[in-house]
Amino acid sequence: MRIRYSAYVLVAAGLAFALVSCGKSPETGQPAGGGGSAPAAGQAVDAATAGSVTGTIKLDGAAPAMKNINMSAEAYCMSQHATPVKDESVVTGPGGTLSNVVVYIQEDMSKYSFAAPTDPAKFDQKGCQYHPHVLGMMAGQTLQVTNSDTTTHNIHPVPKDNRDWNQSQPPGAAPIMEVFARPENAIPVKCNVHPWMKSYLFVFKNPYFSVTGADGKFSIANLPPGTYTIVAWQEQFGTTTQQVTIGAKESKSVNLSFNAASSGD
Amino acid sequence: MPEPSGPDPITGKSWSTIMLVSTFLLMLTVAWSLWSEFFGLRPWRAYQRDFASAYQDFLGKQIAAQTKAEAAVYSSPEYKKLKADLDAAQQSAKPKDDEFARRIALADLQRTAITPAFQSARGQVGALIYQVEIIPESNKSARDSAKKDVDGAKAETYEVEYPLGDGKTEIRKMNYDQLNAGFTDLMALKASLVAQQAEVDSSVKIAQIKLNEFVKEKLPGPSAAGLQNLRNAMSTFKIDMHQINVNPPGAMLNYVGGIGLVDRCQSCHIAMDPLVVPVTMTLTKADLGRTMAASHDAPFTSHPDQDLFNWHPLEKFGCSPCHGGNGRALDSAERGHGRYEHWLWPLNYRENFTAGCQNCHASDMVTEHAEVLNRGRSLYRTRGCIGCHKYSGFDDENERLTTTRQQIMQLESTKHDYSIEIPRLNHQADIAPDNDTAHKLNARATSLTIESSKIDAQLQTLESVSSSLMRESKRVGPDLKEVRMKLRKEWIPVWLTQTHTFRPTTKMPQFRLEQDEVQKIAAFIWQQGIAGQKLNPVAPGNAGHGKELVESRGCLSCHSIGEDSKTIGGDFAANLSRIGEKENYEYLVRWVHNPRERTLPYCPFEKKDITPEDYKKHRLPFQFDLDHSRCPNDGHQLEVQQPTIMPSLRLSDEDSRDVATYLMAQKHTNATYPPAPYMDDPKLAAAGRALVQHYGCAGCHEITGLEDEGRIGTELTNEGSKPIERLDFARYTEDAKRGMLINGKTSPRGPWYDSKGFFEAKLNDPAVFDHAKFKPDPMDRLRMPAPNLTDPKTHQIDKNDVDALVTFLLGSVDPQLPTEYMYRPADRRHAIQEGWWIVTKYNCIGCHQIGIDQKTTMQDLPFYQAENKANLPPVLTSEGARVNPEWLKRFLANPSLSTTDTNKNGVRNYLQVRMPTFSLADNEIRKLVLFFEALSSQEEPYIAPKSESLTNTETTFARALFTNPAAPCLKCHATGDPAHDKNATAPNFTLAAERLREPWAERWVTDPAKIIPGTSMPSGLFRREGDRWVFTGAIPSEFRSYAGDHANLMVRYLMGITPDEQRRLQGRSSGGGASPPGK
Amino acid sequence: MWWDWHQIWEVASAPDNVPIVALLFFIPFYCWLAFREAKKNDELIAKLEADPAAAKTAHRKTQPYEKGWDREVHTWPYLMRVELLAAILVTVLLMVWSLTLNAPLEEPSNPNVTMNPAKAPWYFLGLQEMLVYFDPWIAGVVMPTIIIVGLMAIPYIDENPLGNGYYTYRQRKFSIWTFLLGFIGLWVLMIVIGTFIRGPGWMWFWPTQTWDASRVDFAVNRNLDDVLRIDGAWMAHLMPGSWKPFSGLIARGIFGIFPVTFYFLASGYFMNWLANRTAFSRKIYKRMSLLQTVTMLMLLALMLSLPLKILLRLVFRIHYVWETPWFSV
Repeated sequence: MRIRYSAYVLVAAGLAFALVSCGKSPETGQPAGGGGSAPAAGQAVDAATAGSVTGTIKLDGAAPAMKNINMSAEAYCMSQHATPVKDESVVTGPGGTLSNVVVYIQEDMSKYSFAAPTDPAKFDQKGCQYHPHVLGMMAGQTLQVTNSDTTTHNIHPVPKDNRDWNQSQPPGAAPIMEVFARPENAIPVKCNVHPWMKSYLFVFKNPYFSVTGADGKFSIANLPPGTYTIVAWQEQFGTTTQQVTIGAKESKSVNLSFNAASSGD
Repeated sequence: MPEPSGPDPITGKSWSTIMLVSTFLLMLTVAWSLWSEFFGLRPWRAYQRDFASAYQDFLGKQIAAQTKAEAAVYSSPEYKKLKADLDAAQQSAKPKDDEFARRIALADLQRTAITPAFQSARGQVGALIYQVEIIPESNKSARDSAKKDVDGAKAETYEVEYPLGDGKTEIRKMNYDQLNAGFTDLMALKASLVAQQAEVDSSVKIAQIKLNEFVKEKLPGPSAAGLQNLRNAMSTFKIDMHQINVNPPGAMLNYVGGIGLVDRCQSCHIAMDPLVVPVTMTLTKADLGRTMAASHDAPFTSHPDQDLFNWHPLEKFGCSPCHGGNGRALDSAERGHGRYEHWLWPLNYRENFTAGCQNCHASDMVTEHAEVLNRGRSLYRTRGCIGCHKYSGFDDENERLTTTRQQIMQLESTKHDYSIEIPRLNHQADIAPDNDTAHKLNARATSLTIESSKIDAQLQTLESVSSSLMRESKRVGPDLKEVRMKLRKEWIPVWLTQTHTFRPTTKMPQFRLEQDEVQKIAAFIWQQGIAGQKLNPVAPGNAGHGKELVESRGCLSCHSIGEDSKTIGGDFAANLSRIGEKENYEYLVRWVHNPRERTLPYCPFEKKDITPEDYKKHRLPFQFDLDHSRCPNDGHQLEVQQPTIMPSLRLSDEDSRDVATYLMAQKHTNATYPPAPYMDDPKLAAAGRALVQHYGCAGCHEITGLEDEGRIGTELTNEGSKPIERLDFARYTEDAKRGMLINGKTSPRGPWYDSKGFFEAKLNDPAVFDHAKFKPDPMDRLRMPAPNLTDPKTHQIDKNDVDALVTFLLGSVDPQLPTEYMYRPADRRHAIQEGWWIVTKYNCIGCHQIGIDQKTTMQDLPFYQAENKANLPPVLTSEGARVNPEWLKRFLANPSLSTTDTNKNGVRNYLQVRMPTFSLADNEIRKLVLFFEALSSQEEPYIAPKSESLTNTETTFARALFTNPAAPCLKCHATGDPAHDKNATAPNFTLAAERLREPWAERWVTDPAKIIPGTSMPSGLFRREGDRWVFTGAIPSEFRSYAGDHANLMVRYLMGITPDEQRRLQGRSSGGGASPPGK
Repeated sequence: MWWDWHQIWEVASAPDNVPIVALLFFIPFYCWLAFREAKKNDELIAKLEADPAAAKTAHRKTQPYEKGWDREVHTWPYLMRVELLAAILVTVLLMVWSLTLNAPLEEPSNPNVTMNPAKAPWYFLGLQEMLVYFDPWIAGVVMPTIIIVGLMAIPYIDENPLGNGYYTYRQRKFSIWTFLLGFIGLWVLMIVIGTFIRGPGWMWFWPTQTWDASRVDFAVNRNLDDVLRIDGAWMAHLMPGSWKPFSGLIARGIFGIFPVTFYFLASGYFMNWLANRTAFSRKIYKRMSLLQTVTMLMLLALMLSLPLKILLRLVFRIHYVWETPWFSV
């Protein structure tokens, strides 16, 4: 009698344990699978069928006049510029081409895997200004901050989804190497020593982004065929979007423009 | 048919006899029961009857004496004069007084005359008004008619026979309003008259009061009349039970049960009842012609310490809570005193009666009116009981240190966990599937970061706490890590075997050790000593000068020197007579120079002594002291001082050498010490370790490797209430129960099978309960060593010491009384309570008088007799009122008040006796300052009163006074000029500003003797003139007009005096500073 | 320590023990009294029987009386006076007792400290003593129940019509001896042992021996099967595997049955023999129904088992005769 009873107990215990352990296994698997920037997730983009998007960003209407930046706070900064520096929030080239515009695609490409580039995204502080003024980079890519000035700067990104950090960088100090792990748009970067210094970092999951130069040109290459929403972001005018469908090995050109009148959001 | 054999067994027998007998028996028993009901069970009736008669006789005598005394007083001229004054006053006041009396009487008459009429009128009107009120407003007509009735009633007149004085009266017709007015007017009139009369009689009153005071002063105690009343009361004294019934809500006062305390002690101890013997009287057995011997006379004394009733009113405390005993039982003394097997709280015996105080005063170190208990407490501490037996509240620094260290380690591990957790969380955030999770994880990481910075803050606090605790924690015995430097090797085993013969007054108890145990222990101690740290040789000094120093610097207020009858000095610290036989000269020099100096610092976390190598590893200088106390390895606080009470006297190197040389000469030349080669045998040492742990040496001594050894004895906090079954009387259990003493004699107090008996037996001979036991292995035996309670003079165990300790232990019960009875004051008295622990810990009272009627060791030293009395350390009875607490803190931290020139006293550098540096912990300093302030009932924190600055005239006047030949201040007071200070006998004025409190200074200059009797500061510098103090000496003419208070002026001036001001005045000062006194 | 009179005094004078001390005096006295009366009556009965005439008149079933004695007497005064006397004397006794001895009150009980020896109230000391010889189940539950049941059964068992209302020995030998054995020999005796002999640790202290709480004594009490080395080793072979570990238990359990059954048979036989000794008792015995006989024999056997067990325990140091997981005797 007693023996039979204990047998039941054993069996029951065994079942319970089995259940628990089965219940466990998916959970334990979870973090590995759901990892945002885990390269193992999806397949690589097939370069054979991949297409590309190129284009130019223009500003319709007259570019608003940018006011001067007053660097009188620090003599050194003054000395770096013969003529007073203008605010960089709207910079136009010949024919109203807009620079410092970030162009990227809206779609979630997480079914593909993209390895973050190994060479760091360079970010320099020169003449008490950030170069570039807007920087795009990939999640997991190293951000290399250098100080070409002979004055001490501190670089202080204020991200939302990533971690806030604030490092001071005396002249001639080793470059600061930092990584943003999570994609995030328009991370403002400022220098508490030189309040006018201002810049934006873009962190993407995929390499499909580009920042326009003075000529307002951008190009997004190696796009797998499909329909995409091209988004252009400008510091002052906000964003504008356009649909584009890419066939296999097709390369389309998309021109976007911001309206000077719209003050942006 | 056979013949019947005898009559019928039932009917044939008469039972009358047996009936008679048994009935008689029944009567007897009834009688017996009645007797025991009225007498047998009520012995107190006899006592009371007996007392009543004896007390009446006594009172009779008293009355006679008192009447005589009173007669004498009444016939004395002073009394006569005062009486005359009184009469005169009465005479002068009489006419007016009588006049008023007459008018008051008349007013009364008139009022009484109108009262009846007034009352009936008022009654009628009132009734009618009510009638009006109950008629509704609507019914106007009815109301109006009713109102008319009221008016009618008011108009109605009454005939009053109105007295006009001198018996004349007139008939007055008065209506309601007149009556009303008349009545109130008369009331007012009388009030005013009474007031005026009092005015007139005031002079009489004053005279009367004067007279009464005179009589009170001349004839203290109850008057003859009072005594007579008392006697009359006694003559009709009712034999009855006297009972105190205390029933505090929710309190469990009587030991036995939930209900309140019921004490009927006074039924026998009738004289304790304040209604029977007024508190102004004290009654002794002798007064009633009884002797102490006859025990039944015990109830006939009033309480020997009536003052106690001021704080312990009978109606709140009763008797048994303090004294023990069964307050309810009345059928026999034995029962009432609870001296029978089953009563757990028997009456404390005479020699232990202060044990009761400990019930509530457990947090005191010094309790007033409880000398025996206090002695017990201090013995428990100084004789090193505390080294083995924990007692809550007593020297628990080590326990607190341990807990602090545990907390520190706990926090450090937590911090470490965080340091691992934070990056993990960050990583989780980076790879999180969505931003919300990422935000949460990041937030958590951030909070942890902040947490760990908080932990840093806590750690810093704990470190400082532990360093302060390490300063506070002292050990009873010397540090044994330094034996190799300190002691003569062969001496150690000798000491272990003959502790009390070598130094009859030592605190160290005598252990019962086999020869081989001695060898093992000695070997262990010796080999655990720090090796390789050599002290560099020092040249011998001048023994003669050393002797002077020892006598003058104050060593003898703690230490004693000389043997047997020739002993002088205090018993707080070791007797130095044979120190020369054991000490190593170089070490002694170092010790005398600074006893707190350590060879190697000890790190309680690494549990090792930190060597110079450790410092070298971290490229740090090998320097450690109270300011450099962090461990080079892990940054924790180090033990950087010797854990000894002995302070640094800040002697110069040569002085230290002289003292050491003198001390080294203190020895028996004939003493021989057999060589002890075995002390270097490592095997013995290994065995010795176990023994040292077994005997708990580390409880009192610091020993390498055993720093964290706990106390080996049982905790004694509640020993007094331990069930008797838990006290093992071993072979003496039966003897104790039957009152047979260990020496075979019968115990005078009968059975001693109780805590008292156990404690006494144990203290007299700790091995006693091993007697007749078969314990071949010494480790099995009782380990408690024999505490040194022997009186060095008689070489017998000092019964007073035993009683004191037993009293303390008997009082150590887990409190039965409700908490509101516990003495845990929250006000100033708490500061006093706390302070005494420190004052006694460092034996401040060896040098300073702090309590009003407390004697210091120093007063009795031969060196400080006669004219040297002036060189005694300052009396501190009013220190709290005298000095500024801020200053006092500084002074206690560094009595030399200087960082460079420390070989002096800060304030009284003219004294030879030296206020030593105790390197007190901040905590202790705080407590001491509060203690002194509380003693002189000063408010805390101290806010200096604002004193207005001197005008120019005032300054010049003050200077004039200051240098006035009638006030040669600078003759005695130091100025800082060495030539002058040779003869200085008082502190420097320049200290006054920051040191003194102005109000005290003012009281001081006007009458110092009032504050410190026998001070060398002269009184009578100022005289009272109206409401101000005026300088007694000749006042320069130009200042005669000054209307201010001279004393106050002087003080304000002194508070602001500067060194060069002083120097300037010194020339002008009469006699001049440098000139020797008397010129 | 021997010859410690103080010890005896301490025990004897304890207010708790007064009834037992009284017992020591009262029981012998009343026994003596009873036997004296019995003797008188027996002689009278013999005398009457010798004379047939008297035998007729003075009926044997009532109190025997002689010629010239009242055959019956009135309640008043002859009964009442006895009762009155008894009332008076008892009152006196109680008053004296209450005057001289206080109630044995002790300190409030402390749950952390057990008194040693811890003794039951005097009237239960017999049961407490029984615990030494049987396991709690038997000694504490079974035996007391049987005792009570047995006492209730007596009137139904006793078939002897003689000796009602008067003292006699000859007519009631059997019941008297049973009573003496059962009440005095067992009950009273065990109470006395429990009071005067059992000291601290319920150890056996002879009178005048000091009750030394620290006394250590050593005694092995072994079970009968243990003495006879019954371990069921050989049984283990005959058993299924799962039973093997219990073989010892089973073997002992089975073994125990034999001595116990043997005892019951033996004692039954013995008492049967006893009942058949005299003609008179044989006659009574014949009248009894089977049920009565069996009940009586059972009760007697059980009663006799107690002294036997005491003997085994104290003299031969036998702990249990029959040990099972559920009960032990």
